[in-house]
Amino acid sequence: MTQNKGSLALRIDGRFRAFAALLFAVTFLAAGTDLPGQRGTTEPPVRIPTNVAWTQDTLAIISNGDAFRGLLIARRCNHCHGEEGFSAIATVPNLAGIDRFSFWKQMEDFKSGKRVSAIMQEIAGRDSARDAADLALYYSMLPTGSDMQDKRSFPQAMQNPMRASLAIELILFGDGRRGIPPCQACHGPVGSVRGAPSLARQNGDYLLEQLDHFANGDRANDMNVRMRSIARQLTGEEKEALAHYYGAGLGPDVSAW
Amino acid sequence: MKRKIAFGAAIAVFALALLSTRFYMVDVPLWHILGGSDRPDPVTLHLRGEFVESNLGIGKDPTGGFIVRMIAQQYVFVPQCIIVPAGVPVRFRITSADAIHMLSFLGTNYGLEAVPGAVTEATFTFADAGEFKIPCHEFCGPGHYAMRSRLEVVPENHFPPLEPDERRTCDAK
Repeated sequence: MTQNKGSLALRIDGRFRAFAALLFAVTFLAAGTDLPGQRGTTEPPVRIPTNVAWTQDTLAIISNGDAFRGLLIARRCNHCHGEEGFSAIATVPNLAGIDRFSFWKQMEDFKSGKRVSAIMQEIAGRDSARDAADLALYYSMLPTGSDMQDKRSFPQAMQNPMRASLAIELILFGDGRRGIPPCQACHGPVGSVRGAPSLARQNGDYLLEQLDHFANGDRANDMNVRMRSIARQLTGEEKEALAHYYGAGLGPDVSAW
Repeated sequence: MKRKIAFGAAIAVFALALLSTRFYMVDVPLWHILGGSDRPDPVTLHLRGEFVESNLGIGKDPTGGFIVRMIAQQYVFVPQCIIVPAGVPVRFRITSADAIHMLSFLGTNYGLEAVPGAVTEATFTFADAGEFKIPCHEFCGPGHYAMRSRLEVVPENHFPPLEPDERRTCDAK
């Protein structure tokens, strides 16, 4: 009886060990493969809008800018973007007080060709990621008040002031029926989303151009089709109203709060 | 003999309990962590994985049927208009790029929560052709109330067959 028990225990032990080894082997083999049917073998060619992602590494690079070094680099930007970060040409963006994360992303996108511009791709291509971070910090620190000595096209009075109410409605409330969120939910001041710059001191003609480019796909460097989804639903009248309302310096601004 | 059978049965039950516990506590988490297919990183959705922008919309499921992939983000759904055939089961896979959102198919009792870092999957069948609004049903920020998508259900014979690598939406052009 005792002998029988002993042999039974031995046999169970030996089998159990083999079984356990097999189970572990199966687990690790299975873990290395994907669950069946979750990835198609037939996928369309991948389109990547931008190489930038807001990972911790990216945020660290942008956050460690050097404003004085940025000032020195910025001397070559002055010709178009103005010595005080306000451009004399209405189709060139103002950079004073810009959100540095979005500035850095645009520089990277110019460099990688994800955002197309004959001039900026050439210029941004010479700057490293660190240069862009320095510039971003410098421009984000520039004062945004008015200065009568500076040649700047901002603000420009609205050509059609009757459209202001259209712009106000879209900026404050959006249009839920079409799925257009309010501009201020991402571009400030009530909400902010990483990569969405403030529009309060931006040139109207530049904004209109970019809205058109987003709408027809000429500019497609927004993550997850966010701005393209919105811009392609705006009518021409709405785009113009929005761009020139912001361009007239009427848009809601963080500093106004 | 009877005692031996009872002993064996007891061991079998015990082993089964141990194994099933192990399966759910060890194997499934390991599978998810190492396999990685169901845990997309919300900040790199646009770079890699199944939620890159070229893969969104309705497509043919390699295992048969249709599959819809969607992203919810502050404050738009992508795609903003989904088109599906009526009377056919459609598998939805959805994730979020930032906050928690929820799709609520108005007029039906279907809903889907979009969670950053996870994929929510469900299979829905829309019996009749029609149009459904899909508002966001989970407060996600100041633009929440304007965050909407649309579902167009068309008769199956009005839904042209999909190429294997085609993704279709009914977004405004």
